[in-house]
Amino acid sequence: MTRRKFLAYLGRFAVLFAMVGQALAMLRSIVPNVVYEPPKKFKIGYPDDFSEGITFLSKHRLFVIREGNTFWTISAVCTHLGCTVNLVTFPKPKKVKVGKKEFTEQWEFHCPCHGSKFYGEGTPFAGPAPRPLPYYPLDIAPDGQLIVDTSREVKSDFRFVLNV
Amino acid sequence: MEKLSEWWKKLTWTFAPSSKVEATKAVTKNFILHWFPARVTYRSMSWSYSWWLGTVSFSLFLILTITGIILMFLYIPSVERAYWTIKDLQHAVSFGWFLRNMHRWAAHLMVFFVTLHMVRVFFTGAFKNGGNPDANRPVNWAVGMFLLVFTLLLSYTGYLLPWDQLALWAITIGANIAKSVPVMGSYLHFLLAGGTRIDQNTLIRFYALHVIVLPALLLVLVSYHMWRVRKDGGLAVSEQYKMQAKKEGKRLVPDDYTTFAIPALIRRAFLVFLISLGAVMLLSIISNAPLEEPADPSWTPNPAKAPWYFLWLQELLAITTIRTPWFTINGGFVGGVVIPGILFLWGLIVPFIDKSPNEATGVWFHPSRRLQNWTFGIIMLILAFLTIFAMYFRGPSWNIYWPWAWPPIPHLF
Ligand code: HEM
Ligand code: FES
Repeated sequence: MTRRKFLAYLGRFAVLFAMVGQALAMLRSIVPNVVYEPPKKFKIGYPDDFSEGITFLSKHRLFVIREGNTFWTISAVCTHLGCTVNLVTFPKPKKVKVGKKEFTEQWEFHCPCHGSKFYGEGTPFAGPAPRPLPYYPLDIAPDGQLIVDTSREVKSDFRFVLNV
Repeated sequence: MEKLSEWWKKLTWTFAPSSKVEATKAVTKNFILHWFPARVTYRSMSWSYSWWLGTVSFSLFLILTITGIILMFLYIPSVERAYWTIKDLQHAVSFGWFLRNMHRWAAHLMVFFVTLHMVRVFFTGAFKNGGNPDANRPVNWAVGMFLLVFTLLLSYTGYLLPWDQLALWAITIGANIAKSVPVMGSYLHFLLAGGTRIDQNTLIRFYALHVIVLPALLLVLVSYHMWRVRKDGGLAVSEQYKMQAKKEGKRLVPDDYTTFAIPALIRRAFLVFLISLGAVMLLSIISNAPLEEPADPSWTPNPAKAPWYFLWLQELLAITTIRTPWFTINGGFVGGVVIPGILFLWGLIVPFIDKSPNEATGVWFHPSRRLQNWTFGIIMLILAFLTIFAMYFRGPSWNIYWPWAWPPIPHLF
């Protein structure tokens, strides 16, 4: 390669580099650095606001389940593609087997978008959903309200027991 | 008056040329008509060959552009107000309902006719050069594949704008399909949604895509596409004249097989435009564009169905989750990305792997292309079957029902 040719290539490369760099810089600006979203950790009310059994918190797309002083939460967001699942309650409890565990359930979750169906404890048994509905940790805030942290998942045996 | 027609002639030349020279100049001296060739082969204008479906598609695109620009004056891309500006269009704005209906029905028709146009091109072997060294129709077919995708994306981004239930759940599913892509899924979702939830940032993104980015891309590509048709020497069927002449050992004289684009082509194109416009207007008068309840993340309509042209995709999403004892692949990725991606790539390369003889260029169902036509036909039939199945046989909770036996919809929250 002659020096003249080399310099010509160098010049072209510099122009290209500058233009691509500019374009990338501009495109970068559409990736948000700051988002103004509601916090992922929020209070959902006092324990006594919840009746025995399952409650749907529509604002948070969350199910809260209460058994006496024990509380836990299951997400209402389908693990397939994010629709809100429907709560289907049974007049009579139903016996089901998940893996090797057997238990009775009083409700199931059915998704209206592509037909995923989840047992009462969140395991999918029909449709395309690839994972069980997630559980989120539950705690009590200093003011006595229950507080949920949806930024991290917990195992499905997570239970929050209220000390009284 | 004399002066005026003089000026008019300077700007547009003439639509009723009185000589061959004038007819040629009618195109070459006019900026807009540069799309058109000066001369056009008779068979390029045949109704039964092309059905003019490309021109129908372009007419619909024009209608969409004009109605869309007016809609931009009336629509506000805000999650609080978008829905109510659409309600206003239907009830408070003079002829707002008509404008909105025109825009929506033209969009549906455009998806339909672009698809039909593609089917016509395939079955006539019109992506073949037929031995013409100057033609490059395979590339024009590939451009067409992108046009089809842009048409679908325009429809998708468009029906999100009313911010009703259909919009919210379509955008949720679309963004989560992106999220189901391995490795970079979360990043794609973040980029599309403009955050981690579907909200104002998402709406403004899809708005910008819908009103400028996608239409601009489509316009550039469509212009190239139609200019390409001209550079390829007219529609593929024109190659038949040359093959015929060669076989008979005759010399082709332009007057034997071509005529002037003005007035022959321009009149027909205008007629096709008028018919398309009439059809859209008629549809808009007799039927209202759908609008569901305002967007509400807390409940999903049951069943939540996509518009007809995405039902095959929705059905694929529902049935393609792959389960093995070791891992599970979300149907969102398989049915929403991999399968459409394979179909698209196959579409891109199919004219390059079609090795049928030149005689099959621009002929409906040429016997030498039986295998190609069956392959394409079966793919289209499968897509049509999935669409019809999802439309009539999927009921609440996406369960399978006979269309006449839908149960009462279960209680929603
Ligand atoms: C926005 C969408 C589109 C528009 C406005 C459009 C427009 C046109 C027009 C006006 C023609 C002239 C012939 C006719 O009217 O049939 C044409 C021809 C053609 N189009 Fe399209 N088209 C579109 C999409 C597509 C698609 C999706 C494909 C295929 C994937 C495609 C492939 C072709 C080919 C190969 C030709 C040449 C046909 C021949 O020579 O007979 N186009 N297009
Ligand atoms: S989003 Fe629930 S099944 Fe697809």
